[in-house]
Amino acid sequence: MRRALLLGGLAVLALALAALPFMSGNYLVRLATIAFMYVVLASSWNIIGGLAGYPSFASAAFFGLGAYGSAIVRAHAALPLAWCAGALTASLFALLIGPAILRLRGHYFAVASLVLAPVLRELVNGATDLTGGGMGLTLPGSTALSVDATARLYYAVMLAAAVGTVLFTILILSSRLGWALRCIEQNEDASTVLGVNTLTAKVAAFVASAAPAGLAGAIYATWIGYIDPTDVFDDLLSVKPIVMAFLGGVGTIAGPVFGAAIFVALEELVWRNVLNFHAGILGIIIVCLLVFIPGGLGSFRHAAARVRALASKQTNGTARVRSAA
Amino acid sequence: MRFLRPRVGAMLRSQPHRRRMLALALAALGLFLASHVQAENSAIRIGAPLPLTGALSPEGLKLQQGYELWKDVVNAAGGINVGGTKRLVEIVYYDYQSATPKAVQLAEKLATDDKVDFMFSPFGSGATKAASTVSERYGIPTIAPTASSAEVYDQGYKNLFGTFTDNSTLSEPMTDIAKAKAPKVQRIAILARNDLYPLALGQEFEKSGKKRGFEIVYFGKYAINTLDHASALTEIKGANPDWIVATGYINDMILIRKQMADLGAKAQVVTMINAPAYQEFIDATGPLAENVTSATWWHPAEHYQSKDAFGSTEHYTELFQNKFKSLPDFTNATGSASGVVLQMAIEKAGSTDRAKVREALAAGGFDTFFGPLSFNAAGQATSYVPPVFQIQRGKAVVIYPDAIKAGDLQLGVQ
Repeated sequence: MRRALLLGGLAVLALALAALPFMSGNYLVRLATIAFMYVVLASSWNIIGGLAGYPSFASAAFFGLGAYGSAIVRAHAALPLAWCAGALTASLFALLIGPAILRLRGHYFAVASLVLAPVLRELVNGATDLTGGGMGLTLPGSTALSVDATARLYYAVMLAAAVGTVLFTILILSSRLGWALRCIEQNEDASTVLGVNTLTAKVAAFVASAAPAGLAGAIYATWIGYIDPTDVFDDLLSVKPIVMAFLGGVGTIAGPVFGAAIFVALEELVWRNVLNFHAGILGIIIVCLLVFIPGGLGSFRHAAARVRALASKQTNGTARVRSAA
Repeated sequence: MRFLRPRVGAMLRSQPHRRRMLALALAALGLFLASHVQAENSAIRIGAPLPLTGALSPEGLKLQQGYELWKDVVNAAGGINVGGTKRLVEIVYYDYQSATPKAVQLAEKLATDDKVDFMFSPFGSGATKAASTVSERYGIPTIAPTASSAEVYDQGYKNLFGTFTDNSTLSEPMTDIAKAKAPKVQRIAILARNDLYPLALGQEFEKSGKKRGFEIVYFGKYAINTLDHASALTEIKGANPDWIVATGYINDMILIRKQMADLGAKAQVVTMINAPAYQEFIDATGPLAENVTSATWWHPAEHYQSKDAFGSTEHYTELFQNKFKSLPDFTNATGSASGVVLQMAIEKAGSTDRAKVREALAAGGFDTFFGPLSFNAAGQATSYVPPVFQIQRGKAVVIYPDAIKAGDLQLGVQ
């Protein structure tokens, strides 16, 4: 019964998402594309941050590398190849830097991951011949497609990337790696004792987190058509996915997805209504949400279950429950 | 709320009241619709995404001042003359927080949600290029006030018109003058801010210099927000250049000029872009400003007589000073010039029909306080010569082009 409901819901959602670019204006299509991009970023952060419990601030580094990787390849190659190059660049970087910084834990790891983006930003800034430095890079536009078709293309590609990232997370969660990561999240020393090769598992998770984020950056670069170091290595690209995952529920599959959707919707809503102080208001709302529902939206389900359990016990009329309540 | 309900209910139940209420409601609705329709008829709406917060906010605010001054002057005169009827100007501003993707997103919002008639581009070449896709998609004629790189205009778009001439129009005349007036100057050192426009400009100087047989003995970049240029300047001093070129914004230039003096880095010619055009630079560096050369797209020392809302460069400068209590710079001026060009195109077309206005813009021939404006096939201005000037005895003196020059290049900078 529940399975049927879930499948039915998914089918309706799929239909709605497929119809959206044909039913609405391009502004909504753009917003949806941005929301998908954040679904990718939040879900990919969830692999290292949620499953393994390592507070990574490396999303911006992966995103920026993906953007520059694809922009440089795009000058000589077709779109899909450029996207692959973006994902590959970010993954390779994670593979190289992971073994070094994943030996750190907690705050130390967080700080180490936080400086990746600024360091890369300066490197890219300096390599003017390859990256254009502070002048940024302009990507060739796709002149073959009409502008509406381009909007739909990027909507579809970003949606595919979001769905792919969620499926990828499910795959990891149900694999041996997923078990290892959850062991590490619970107690890293104990999992070493149990025979989990923690460093390998963490590096694998780091790389798995980098690939989708790099892909998002790659698609973004070809979509917007102009990138510069401050735009794609923006620290907010590290912070927002974390906030989204927390809003929806860390370590769950659906949490980052809903978190990203809610965040983008909130951002737009606040921005439209409070033109002058929107960033401030948004910050206050997010702090309130995190303080009052620390488990994210996922905690509502637990709360509902608790209420239901309470109700059923009360109908049994036991005095024990009443005194506990 | 609850205690009100029975009374309203009773009122509605009694027939005369009900009719009167209905009539009132209809009248209100009619008034609302009428005012709404009239508003749509009278105001020409222009969308302007600006970086009002974030790294580019000083430039964003300057552009906004330029737009506002133009809007005030036009609206004070009753509006834009569209085929005999005067229509007011309304500018819809959004803050894109100095983030290019947000600028593109807001341009799309202006086009679809706010349904603006025309648009002004966001700040700088990069954001202008990214957002121009949106104007092109919806066929909205768009004036780009601050995009000087030729790459912005290479996409074959029909709706983008930029008021800035190419970066090379700043470096070419300057190198020509140095070649002609200072034959002993051979070695150039260039120090550029690693940022879209200053770096592109530095590279243009390198190109123009090489083309004329100068030797580039040093080319360095400094990061945004650098607070100490000593190491770069020491290297420059070691390279023993005859001509030092530095690009960046006013705070960078003041700092570099002062540190040059501290370290004893001297040269026959010192060119700094953009700062020396501003009184603030001269005030802050005092005698060190003497003989520093610069070039810019517009300067209040120019004397253009125009057929636009401002009448002349002098009158524009006066109006600006009255409103904002400071001298206008080229960013302020290009904001106002964008409005002026759009206004003249609408008046020439006699309509706000986008196709007709686009045609009028492409035809060009606008005499403005900013200079004569016409655009090449790609949409970039090519019709005026950006002036080169030098600080002489504490004043900015135009030394090029010949038509408006008030002095000649002086050699030797302490």
